[in-house]
Amino acid sequence: MTTKKLALFFLSITLIFTSCSNDDDTTPALPLGDYENGILISHEGNFGQGNASVSFVSYDLMTTENGIFNAVNSSPLGDTAQSIAFNGNFAYIVLNVSNTIEIVNRYTFESVGTISTGLNNPRHIAFANGKGFVTNWGDGTVTTDDYLAIIDLSTNMLDAQTISVEEGPEEIVADGNQLYVAHQGGFSQNNIVSVVDASSNMVTATITVGDVPNTLQLDASGNLWVLSEGKPAWTGDETGGMLSKINTSNNSVTSFDFGTSEHPNYLAEENGTLYYYMAGSVYKMDSSASTLPTSAEFAGVNFYGMTVNNSTLYGVDAVDFTSNGELYVYELNTNSLVDSVTLSIIPSGIYFN
Amino acid sequence: MKHITLFYLLLLFGSVAIAQTATDSIQQLDEVILSDVKLRRYNNGYKLTILGDSILRKNNSSLTDVLRFNSNIYFRENGYGMVSSPSFRGTNASQTAVVWNGININSQLNGQVDFNTISSSNYNTISIRSGGGSVQYGSGAIGGTIHLSNNLDFDTHFNHSVQLGLGSFETKNARYNTSFGNGTWSGSLGVAYVDSDNDYKFLGTDRRNENGAFNNLDLNLNLGYIISAKDVVKLFHQNFRNDREFSSTLLAPSNSKYESQDYRSMLEWIHIENTYTSSLKAVHLLEQFKYFENKDLNNFSEGHANTWLLKHHYKRHFSKRLTLSVITDYSYSTAEGNSFANPKRNAFSATAIVSHRPSEKVQYNVNVRKDVISDFKSPLVFSGDLSYQLVKPYTIKFNASKNFRVPTFNDLYWNPGGNLDLEPEESYQLDLGHELKFKNIAFKLNTFYIETSDLIQWRPNTISGYWNPVNIANAKQYGLEAELGMTKQLEKHILFLSTSYSYTETEDVEKNQRLFYVPVHKANMSLSYNYKAFTAFYQHLYNGEVEIIGDTLDGFDIGNLGVSYTINTKKELSYIADFRINNIYNTYYENVALRPMPNRNFNIKLTLKF
Repeated sequence: MTTKKLALFFLSITLIFTSCSNDDDTTPALPLGDYENGILISHEGNFGQGNASVSFVSYDLMTTENGIFNAVNSSPLGDTAQSIAFNGNFAYIVLNVSNTIEIVNRYTFESVGTISTGLNNPRHIAFANGKGFVTNWGDGTVTTDDYLAIIDLSTNMLDAQTISVEEGPEEIVADGNQLYVAHQGGFSQNNIVSVVDASSNMVTATITVGDVPNTLQLDASGNLWVLSEGKPAWTGDETGGMLSKINTSNNSVTSFDFGTSEHPNYLAEENGTLYYYMAGSVYKMDSSASTLPTSAEFAGVNFYGMTVNNSTLYGVDAVDFTSNGELYVYELNTNSLVDSVTLSIIPSGIYFN
Repeated sequence: MKHITLFYLLLLFGSVAIAQTATDSIQQLDEVILSDVKLRRYNNGYKLTILGDSILRKNNSSLTDVLRFNSNIYFRENGYGMVSSPSFRGTNASQTAVVWNGININSQLNGQVDFNTISSSNYNTISIRSGGGSVQYGSGAIGGTIHLSNNLDFDTHFNHSVQLGLGSFETKNARYNTSFGNGTWSGSLGVAYVDSDNDYKFLGTDRRNENGAFNNLDLNLNLGYIISAKDVVKLFHQNFRNDREFSSTLLAPSNSKYESQDYRSMLEWIHIENTYTSSLKAVHLLEQFKYFENKDLNNFSEGHANTWLLKHHYKRHFSKRLTLSVITDYSYSTAEGNSFANPKRNAFSATAIVSHRPSEKVQYNVNVRKDVISDFKSPLVFSGDLSYQLVKPYTIKFNASKNFRVPTFNDLYWNPGGNLDLEPEESYQLDLGHELKFKNIAFKLNTFYIETSDLIQWRPNTISGYWNPVNIANAKQYGLEAELGMTKQLEKHILFLSTSYSYTETEDVEKNQRLFYVPVHKANMSLSYNYKAFTAFYQHLYNGEVEIIGDTLDGFDIGNLGVSYTINTKKELSYIADFRINNIYNTYYENVALRPMPNRNFNIKLTLKF
């Protein structure tokens, strides 16, 4: 027994020395548990199996920590993390199947609160006018019960009032006091963007876009770019994707049509350049271009989420949905793969802290 | 017993001049009484475990509970009373076939049987046949088969049994069984009803099992009529109606519910001659379900599948040691539902079985089967098994087989995703068994190896954007099973011990990892003590840890304790009072991640027999 203790003692001393010398050699890295400077990746996990998670990856891709919510708070995050949105020091993690929003300090990931009532199939959040607006499908099979739930950001409590909207609200972005909601359609397919006034909580306009709008991007010139994937073949009424540019000053729409069997997704925008993913390839388009690109920037990828930041493209691969996913990072000046990092089960959302 | 046998011999063979050997007579008696004769006749090289009346009565009525504590089969139960799928020797739920009175009843829609939609109350025996059985029992019989049997007793009798039970979580059960026979007629009727709020406390929390209530009704009616010395007609009918909420998990609330009904009917005509026996079965199976995402609304998705089946079994006795069976069947299945159009399937199969017993100690069977199915090609499957009694208490058993599982209607026609290019899964396996049988001790040891290719799995499709079933995975399972049964009697004190252990290694060949939800170790034990009218028993289950997606789920140990007392009155009336404590150690355990199982709970039953 004593020898064992002694051995442990020496082992720990050796460890202290090794870690000290390591610290002397390299520039001090951010200690794990502080997620101030890096990428947060939300993982849906498997539907109904409660294995949603968030990973942290440092910008230099040298440090990866999976399951940071569980590690910091010693409790599981929930079921099916749909999206994350930031407001001030807080990150709001929307858990679709749990019907909850987990509010954490975005830098320490310590839980600040949980909104667990008033949500029904919550999807995404945007912030405007001191409030958070959460898109909710309601019951998947009911087309008339979709709504925006309102969070009072001073208390992080849910307002009793909701805003009734059309079927299948998905992504939501705020442009000042205007909210734009893409109606993907829930279990069916919709083709509109609704405009909501964050002061009056009223739907002020409905703009028709392509079928199944999946991503929204606001650019610096006051345009809202909407990427629609089109109706899938299995509906028996397949339609092609569509890229729509909405001028937010007058809601006028310019659109670009994809071929009937083309179903693009994950629109990203940076400095006037648009990127999207389609059937294993990544495409790039100048926002002033008059036609869609005809050739891909690079191919052979399998993304379940994609975004662009700082001339770098980040894509997550959910593999077969039961194995650990991967983050792939591409340098966009040369379209070369910088590195890949192993994540957890079903990564989908990529956010920059 | 002797005079009953004699009675049948007279009845059946009175007009037959040529005397048969005793073995043949018993075989022919089996044809009359048993609903699944093949099971007893052509499986000498397989491990067969039979659960009779006393075991079935001791357990809760769900088939999951019965088998969890009394077999090597592992169950993945989505919360108590919810969907329950078996893993037999490490295979998956659609690779375990459930055979109702000789007919494979796995769902045409998903290929599986939910073991919480089978009530054990209304069967005379439930048998577990370990190892591949596709040749005799069709698609899906890869890990093994579970046989639900209603036997017909023509002996003159008229019995009734009424049972009422109450348990924790507002659990109520009621059961009525009657059986009669008068020499030419035999009949039995069973009605079993269970209703439970199932709102048990989650140990260590202030939460309860929410949205977990269920009730089910099982109706069972069987009739037999001996037309003449050579002809017997039998009718079997079963109807199970199930109304369940689908419970919440620790992290996901639920307000969904699921209603399902199964109707199974079979008419059988048996013709017995000296040199051959012929059995013709006409079967109708109907399964239907409604799923409500929100139980408070009248929005639901639904589906149903109908199967009509004609099956003929011709058995020729060349000698008392050699028989040839030719089984042909034709089935027609259709389905309808929200997620598929109107798929139809025509299937024809022909099977030949040669059964030979060259000496008193050796018996072997050789089986070949070919299916012709309308929507895809099906492989030729075969099996061979051998039983050899080396010395008096020791028998060695061996079987090898090729088995298959056909794609289900969901796999082929589900919209979106259904894939018409699927091939059947194919599986090869070997099983070596040793049996030691002494007067009061029986010991069985089996080792098995299963290799399955072209496993059908639903995978995301990069191009289409939705999920497709594909023949993608390969799996291997190998392991060992041990069973020990022991009886000890000291004057009027009887002690009975039954225990089993299984060691199962699994491998997803593609990913080089264990399969999800298969415990490497599983063991159970049942000890009962009987003194005159008093019986006490203890059951124990050890379920080792299992791999789940991205994690492992802890194993658990649980125990149940029960006592019963029988009062016999002078008339032909007896009362049995049962008291049972489930999970006596009040163990927190999850059978499926985030779905806690019941804490300690109680059940009391009163049975009247007359």
